[in-house]
Formats: sequence, structure tokens, C-alpha cells
Amino acid sequence: MLSEIFRVALLGGVLAMDRSAGWNVMLGQPLVGACLVGAFLNPGPQWELWALRIPLGVGVLLQLLLTDPSLPAAQRPRDVATAGVIGSSVALLGLERLSPLVPLTTGGILWVLVGTVAGLLASVAGGWMEVPLRARNQISARRAEELALLGNLRGFESLYWRGVIRVFLRGATWSGAATVAGVAATAAFLPRIAQLVTGPRAGLIFAVLLGAAFGAGFHTHVRAPRHGLRWAAIGALAAIFALLRLRGTAP
Amino acid sequence: MIESKPAIAPAPPSAPSLRAIDLARVASRALYLQALFSAERQQGPGFAFALLPVIRRLYSGVEARGRALARHLGFFGTHPVLVGYVLGVVARLEERRAQGAPIDDTQIEYAKRALASPLAALGDPLFWVTLRPLAGLVGILGMTLLPLADPAGPDLRVLVCPLLALLTYNAVALKYRIDGVPRGYALAEDPGKLLRSLKLAELKRIFERVSAFAFGALIVFTLRPMTESADPEGLGLAHTVSVLAPFVLGLIGAALGLRRWPGRSVEIALAAALVALVFSTRV
Repeated sequence: MLSEIFRVALLGGVLAMDRSAGWNVMLGQPLVGACLVGAFLNPGPQWELWALRIPLGVGVLLQLLLTDPSLPAAQRPRDVATAGVIGSSVALLGLERLSPLVPLTTGGILWVLVGTVAGLLASVAGGWMEVPLRARNQISARRAEELALLGNLRGFESLYWRGVIRVFLRGATWSGAATVAGVAATAAFLPRIAQLVTGPRAGLIFAVLLGAAFGAGFHTHVRAPRHGLRWAAIGALAAIFALLRLRGTAP
Repeated sequence: MIESKPAIAPAPPSAPSLRAIDLARVASRALYLQALFSAERQQGPGFAFALLPVIRRLYSGVEARGRALARHLGFFGTHPVLVGYVLGVVARLEERRAQGAPIDDTQIEYAKRALASPLAALGDPLFWVTLRPLAGLVGILGMTLLPLADPAGPDLRVLVCPLLALLTYNAVALKYRIDGVPRGYALAEDPGKLLRSLKLAELKRIFERVSAFAFGALIVFTLRPMTESADPEGLGLAHTVSVLAPFVLGLIGAALGLRRWPGRSVEIALAAALVALVFSTRV
């Protein structure tokens, strides 16, 4: 488990750099983070199929749910960069360790649900974790001013690089710690409700959560832009037309 | 050596000028713009950090370098993808000042703010509100459209979908990242022309429409397999509707909930999952 947590922490740190240090190359989006976990964590050959499908499911749901169409200043402080990593990691590590205790009739859907809920909770808690980092940055900015007055450019530069390392370490520590906490909570909670977790029940909750994700997607992609509904209708008609054409040409 | 426009005052023979490598260093450091982000100064320390190669090149002496650094440590806020344009303009102004042009601190600060605010106002809606969600949507569309290479084998879509999202976003954003500093440097004398040449508002309009179009298509591509697999035994329309009902109810509930409480998607999703769990144990 230690090497897996180390890999999760490394990935979380890199993605936190994308979000908080200023790279902003889209690495810190939940879909990307969750899928990268699928490539980084390999629970073993017997889980190969789920190890790749579960992160994809978690990533898609989190991507739709955590995309906020409001301007950054109006957004709630949510750490979306590590949410995908933590959600996917909790699901995969939980699958590997808890599958004997939970009936496999639920297939991967149960673990997609576990990962999505873990990711959503991690995004909220991760937002709170940003507060001490910002406070530390404020102190560093004042120190930077003192160094500038002394003409100490090298000192300022090293102060800034320490800030960059702090962003990485915060992301890594938070990803590793939240994953351990998530797996522990799942191990403590899930076996107790094993009787309740039937295939149809997990399927129903998954369908509702998928619907909620599409509702959030509608809010982002269709409601927010001008003439969004018109263009969404054109897109839907085009898709129906393409499907009908494909069906017509099928042998 | 970068081609420079004529300065107001003629440069003294020993006056330093910026090289292309200095501007490239500034652009690479702009990738760490927000590492010391705080509510008080926002990206101010990051802006000064990115400008260090310019300060080192143009000024000699501890005091002059310290003064130049302190000039840029105050409040600064713009869109991180577009910061290169402001850095380029400021680099040019600092160069002219070092060469003896009558440019004071206020003029540099004014140029910074005059460019940073519109770039933030145009960049945030384009990159954060439109392009980034669209790129994520392209990745998700990839998952629904791409067939499984081997239904019993590894699902390669786990690599293809994030790659699609990354490519979509960076195909647009990287251009502005690479182009920013040299273009800002070249058009430093005419910030208005610089802003107009970026065409950010036009791009936003196009991406908004593409985003809504793609979401409409995604709904159809998601509903199709759900509808086809809902009634394998041919029990009729009522059965299909009852199978699709949780999805549709979740969609309508979340869309209405977000209209009432914008930004509360996490709480709405968790509440929906909880209601579904309670409902499923009662029925």
C-alpha cells in the first residue's frame, strides 16, 4: 500500500502544481486526474478490466459535477485537481482490498459510486486546505518585499521556489492523506452495509448520480451560454441523424 | 536580438537591450505565476518572479535591481494564460527606461493595469468558463463515441479520453502562452491594437456554441445505449420509461437545483445519491 500511496501523492502533487502554481494546462481537471490514476495504480492482473474502467467512470462523473460555469471569483473554493486523483485511488484501492467482503454482483458500478462520492467530498475538504497555504503565501509576499528593498534577487528567487515546492507538497500530502482516510472510511463503512448493496440498488443510485452529472452539464454547457438551448438541440438532431445514417448503412 | 521599436530617447552606447532568450526565460517563468498567490497581492510576486531575467539583464547594481523588483511586487491580477502579453509590454517599457527614455514608475504601473484588467475580463470567460468545460466535454464524448477495442481486455479509452481533453484545451491555450511575451514586447507602444488582435470575445462565442452543440450530441449518444439495453425482454414502453426514470429525475433535479443554488453541484449530487439510497431501501 505504501508504494501505491507514494504514487498517488506524486500524482496529486503534480496536478496541484497545474492548478495552484499556474501551469493551467488542464492536467488538474478531474477527468485527466482520475484517468491518470488508472494508469498509475495497477491492482493486479485479475482487476485489469476494472482498474481502467472505474477511473474513467469516476472521472466522467466528477468532470461534469465539478465544472462550475461561474467566473473564478464567484466560485466556491473547491480543489478539483486532486479530487479526481483521490476519488479514483479510493475506488481502486478499495476494490482490491474489500472485494471479498462486498458481493461482486454489483460489478464496477459500486466502486464508481464510492470513487465519485470520495472525490466530491475531497474537493470540498481540499478547498479548505487551501486557506493555510494562502495565509503562508501572504507572509512570503511580505518577506519578498523586504528582500527587494535589500536588493537580494537571489533570496527572492529562492523564496519563490520554496513557494512552488510548498504547492507541490501540499497537493502530495493532501492526496496521500485523503486517499488513506478514504480507504479507511470505506473499509469501516462498506462491509457494514454489504447486505444493502445489491446490484439493482447500486444501479439505481448510479443512474441518479449520472442524471445529476448531466444536469450539472446542462447548467454549464447549455443554460449558461447565450442561445445554448438552440445549439444543444441542433447537436442532438445532428447526433440522431448520424445514428440513423449509421443504422441505415449497417449490414 | 529582438527587433525593437524606436525609443523616445536615444539609447546610450552601452545601454543593454533584451535578447530573445531573455523573453523566452520570462515566458517559461510565467508558468509559475500563481505559486505565491494571496488575496492581498494576487499574482504580484509571480509577476516579479517572471520578470527577473529582464531585471537582471537591464539593471546592474544591487540597489537598481532591488528597486526594479520592488516595482512589480504589488497587486497584480490577470488571466494566467494571457499574462505573457503584459510581461512583454512591461519588459519593453523597462528596456526603454534602462536605455534612458523618460518613463517613470507610474507609467509602467498604468500600462500594467490598463492591459491586465481587460485581459482578465476577456480571458476568464474564454478559458475558464468556456474552453476548459468544452475540453472536458470532448474527452467525455470520446468515451461515448470510441468503441472498446477488446470488450474483455484493457480499456484504452482511459488514456485516449484525457488526451483528447488535453489536446483540445492546449491547442488554443498554448498558442497564447507561446505568443504572449514576444507579441506584447513587439506591440508595447500600442496596447489597444494588441488587445484587438487577440480576438478573445469572438473565440468565446464560437466555443460556447460548440460546447452546447457537443452537449446535445452527448445526451443522444448516452441515452441511445441506455434505451436499447433498458428492455431486453420486450416488456414495452412503460418498462423502458421506468428504467430511464432515475436518470431523467436526477438530470431535472440537478438542473433545477443549480438554477436555484448555483455552484452547489457537490451538495446537490450527494443529496441526490442519498435520496436514491433511501428510496431504494423503501421500495
